[in-house]
Amino acid sequence: MIDTKHEIVFHPEKCVGCGLCYKACFVDVIRWDEENKKPVFKYVEDCEHCFYCESVCKRGAIEVKPNYASERLLQHFDRYR
Amino acid sequence: MKTQVDRKTLSTDVLIAGGGVGGLTAAISIKEIAPELDVLIVEKQTCGYGGKANKGGGVLQYFDLTKMDPWDFVKYHANVIGGFLGDQELLAKYVSMNNHMLDKLTEWGAKVPKNPDGTYNVMPTGPATAIIGVDLDITLKMRRTAEKLGVKIIDKVAITDLLKKDGKIAGATGFSLLDGTFYEITAKAVIMATGSQNYRIGSMWGSGRGDGIAAVYRAGAELRNVEFGNFAQLVRVRSHNEVVYGENFMYNAKGEHITKNFLKEREPDISSKAIREWYWAMTNGTGPVHLRFDSPQSEGGAPLSRLWDRPYGQEFWRLNHERAAAVDTDTEVCPLLIGEQSPIKVGHDMQTTIPGLYAIGDASYCGSAAPGAVPAPPGRNRGSGILNAVFAGISCAESVANHAKSNPLPEVDKEQIEKSFTRVFAPLERESGCTCKDVIRKVQEAMGPMEYSVYMHADRIAQALAIVLEAKALVPQMKAVDFHDLLSCHEAEAMVLSAEMHYRAAEMRKESRGWFLREDYPEMDNKNWLKWIIVKNVDGEMTFSTEDVPIEKWPVKPMA
Repeated sequence: MIDTKHEIVFHPEKCVGCGLCYKACFVDVIRWDEENKKPVFKYVEDCEHCFYCESVCKRGAIEVKPNYASERLLQHFDRYR
Repeated sequence: MKTQVDRKTLSTDVLIAGGGVGGLTAAISIKEIAPELDVLIVEKQTCGYGGKANKGGGVLQYFDLTKMDPWDFVKYHANVIGGFLGDQELLAKYVSMNNHMLDKLTEWGAKVPKNPDGTYNVMPTGPATAIIGVDLDITLKMRRTAEKLGVKIIDKVAITDLLKKDGKIAGATGFSLLDGTFYEITAKAVIMATGSQNYRIGSMWGSGRGDGIAAVYRAGAELRNVEFGNFAQLVRVRSHNEVVYGENFMYNAKGEHITKNFLKEREPDISSKAIREWYWAMTNGTGPVHLRFDSPQSEGGAPLSRLWDRPYGQEFWRLNHERAAAVDTDTEVCPLLIGEQSPIKVGHDMQTTIPGLYAIGDASYCGSAAPGAVPAPPGRNRGSGILNAVFAGISCAESVANHAKSNPLPEVDKEQIEKSFTRVFAPLERESGCTCKDVIRKVQEAMGPMEYSVYMHADRIAQALAIVLEAKALVPQMKAVDFHDLLSCHEAEAMVLSAEMHYRAAEMRKESRGWFLREDYPEMDNKNWLKWIIVKNVDGEMTFSTEDVPIEKWPVKPMA
């Protein structure tokens, strides 16, 4: 998936700086700010809405809001119908 | 060069590119038999979290070897799934090792559910076959096991090129996604555990971008079964969530159960005929296609996740199902390409045609020939994805260890390294050009539509290949803005390569077999096509040849 418009809502006040979300991201959307011990959501346009970052955050600091319509199915619906 | 990066020089006995379940299995298995060898895993994301085993259904195939002979499954597989294109000896070995692999995974920390009496808690899928759940922290547990055994791990470094010396493997180069540091790694043996090619289209949470396949191709190793990298899955049109086994419940707009048109009896998994049926419905005016489940239990996915107690995975699946349910206001489905080209040709010890270079897991599943004429994973064989990676990781260990012990550390060829350095950073050097996404979009347009990549015809193959070649023309113009983008450029180039190989080989195979489906050649042709198509880079030229399947030496043969 490319050019997605998923939204990642981050609540810094809940974050304890464990870094699990950074490790969990398999598409390099999340980078780690070592100085502030906080994630940086740097490449959100590459997010594949797997929810792994949200799943591993036990403090509820991350919420992924998927925009499924921004993902391309790549079928020629307009030609078929 | 304007790109200023640090350079790091490393050496190791064994280099493993990719820290998913396959790479971790190989690392642990090598350390178990040869603890004195240095083993280094280089993972482009984070080892233990990357790869696919921790993002799927968490299912392992189970064979009750007290009730069945492995060759019973091989016979069934050749006839129903693999279309006689599979390496029967290798598949028999895989089945034979089933219980051993489950025991090893448990020993390495994976949570495989057991009954109070110590037997595995399996869900039967046939008289002697079953599936068993595994929790999704499987690779995290295995990373810890690997580290305890002394395996070294470097995260966030992408392997880009393979180095050779006198025809043998000599190491690899790579760069850091974080700061661009260029890695020159000398190694006696290299294992590619880099996953398949998914073209960044359908998820199934696959991170395989084919960059490992491309590196192996550039190094001159042979590839096999490239035309079977076109797996597609029915997904819900709104959430794009896959509906495993949804093909059994397809209805057209007239309310007709169209599954009956292509399925005479229950089959092991989705077939390309289901994709064709969807395409026909959409083009003959009887679409769209909806699913109608005959019972809540038959609705794929969610119930399976609740069968076993798997707390780590259950949170992951819950989020996926809940968010999807919020938009799935109806049950319309369509196919989505997952791809899964896995073509690095390997022998039974997982060695490629370059001595000392190995490929395991999704990188070489079809290339090993074990699954026959189907895209793998899953190869119409649910639960075989993780276990094939474990199988390949264990199977390569002895040969890798022997190779590493019997060969000296190769001398570094400076010219090869500098050539790689220039190639790797070229997109950052360009002042202007296109983006990697311009290239990826085109490849996706060529691979995504079902009538191009799955339900094929010579005319449509030609159309799709023309789009791929437009993408190929853009490759030398790709401009990267940072190291994250640089990786995407290399992945885009690999996608172009995979797509071109797919369509050129698909054009050659003038028949239908297994998953491979051509409208213009609808019959299986055992007279002319009991053959594997081999792809090889010869001095920059993509060359194709065929190799006869040695069906005469195996017990299961086609009827005609």
